[in-house]
Amino acid sequence: MNILIHDLNNKQFQLLFPRVNNDIYIISDTGTIRHCSGCFGCWIKTPGKCVLKDGYDNMGKLLGKSEKVTVISQCFYGCYSPFVKNVLDRSISWLLPFFKIRNNETHHKRRYQNNIWLAVHFYGENITREERETAEKLVKANCANLYVKNYEISFSNSLENLCKKVTVI
Amino acid sequence: MKICIINGSPKASKSTSELLIEYLMSFIKENKVVIYNVCKAELSFNQFSQIQNSEVLIFVFPLYIDSLNSCLLRFLIELEKRGFSNKNINVYCMINNGFYEGWQNYVAADIMRNWCNATGLTYGQTLGIGAGEMLPFIKDIPLGHGPNKNIGIALRKLSCNILSLNKGEDLFVSPNWPRFLWKIAASFCFWYPKAKKNGVKRKRLKDRVN
Repeated sequence: MNILIHDLNNKQFQLLFPRVNNDIYIISDTGTIRHCSGCFGCWIKTPGKCVLKDGYDNMGKLLGKSEKVTVISQCFYGCYSPFVKNVLDRSISWLLPFFKIRNNETHHKRRYQNNIWLAVHFYGENITREERETAEKLVKANCANLYVKNYEISFSNSLENLCKKVTVI
Repeated sequence: MKICIINGSPKASKSTSELLIEYLMSFIKENKVVIYNVCKAELSFNQFSQIQNSEVLIFVFPLYIDSLNSCLLRFLIELEKRGFSNKNINVYCMINNGFYEGWQNYVAADIMRNWCNATGLTYGQTLGIGAGEMLPFIKDIPLGHGPNKNIGIALRKLSCNILSLNKGEDLFVSPNWPRFLWKIAASFCFWYPKAKKNGVKRKRLKDRVN
């Protein structure tokens, strides 16, 4: 399964991507998402499932079934947009609470064994050089923690340019 | 000096960020300090105004997926939109993560530095702390001693820079406690007892959802 996580509104999305493959699972902002409260319920209460029932509580399971994850996000200070970050914050059930050491760093062990191919497309009119460098470091760190071996990252200064770079749709 | 501490922890129960704020307060208590948790309630106009008119802003928050949690990120965007007429504000950060290595907070520190560039404020220093979930368990050990040795030394350096409005190199520390013991303790003294309290057996913690 391919997953697309994006922060575009409906109008923007339909304008930019009028034709979408049926095999893509799209996660967008429905206005119902709640923020992760750091309760660890998805690890120690209902393992693998978030305890907040808002339609975004099955992220771990979805990631566990995915081969490719595409992220479209506005870039804020070298980070994702609040909505995309919210979805990622709610995805920790893909991992286990337990730790392992890899490359002399501690990381969480994985709950699922699928290998994810990650493509992150940042957009924004005035992304600075520093923000770009930070975003690159962030995606690299995400890949280390999510066991991603292959990833791509792009930056677009407009939604039109973004459209040319996203291939999964 | 007017100091505003922003607690960016969304945790309902007592958080490590709250504990770190208590530690920091012992160094800066002679000043006029206000503390807001921006993940628990929306701030009023007056509270925003107090933040915008501080001399020092200190952000204290946990690492979420290698960066800031979405709540804190929303707040920072809102604060940037409201703007700062007084740009003469120094920003410091205390970030804690659930891994062992304090330096895994470095991307979050970069994001905060970029936010300062966007708002025109001055970035002072980061204190990145590893093994954050362990800190409440060793809170009765005085700072600067035993497992709190590194954290105590780093807090003193950070508070000196805050009080003198100086910049400093980012500090990344872990408790003075062997990593292999921390890793074992994380399972046996933290995750397993917490699961047991919820009536979840050890082997169920690894369940996959189909």
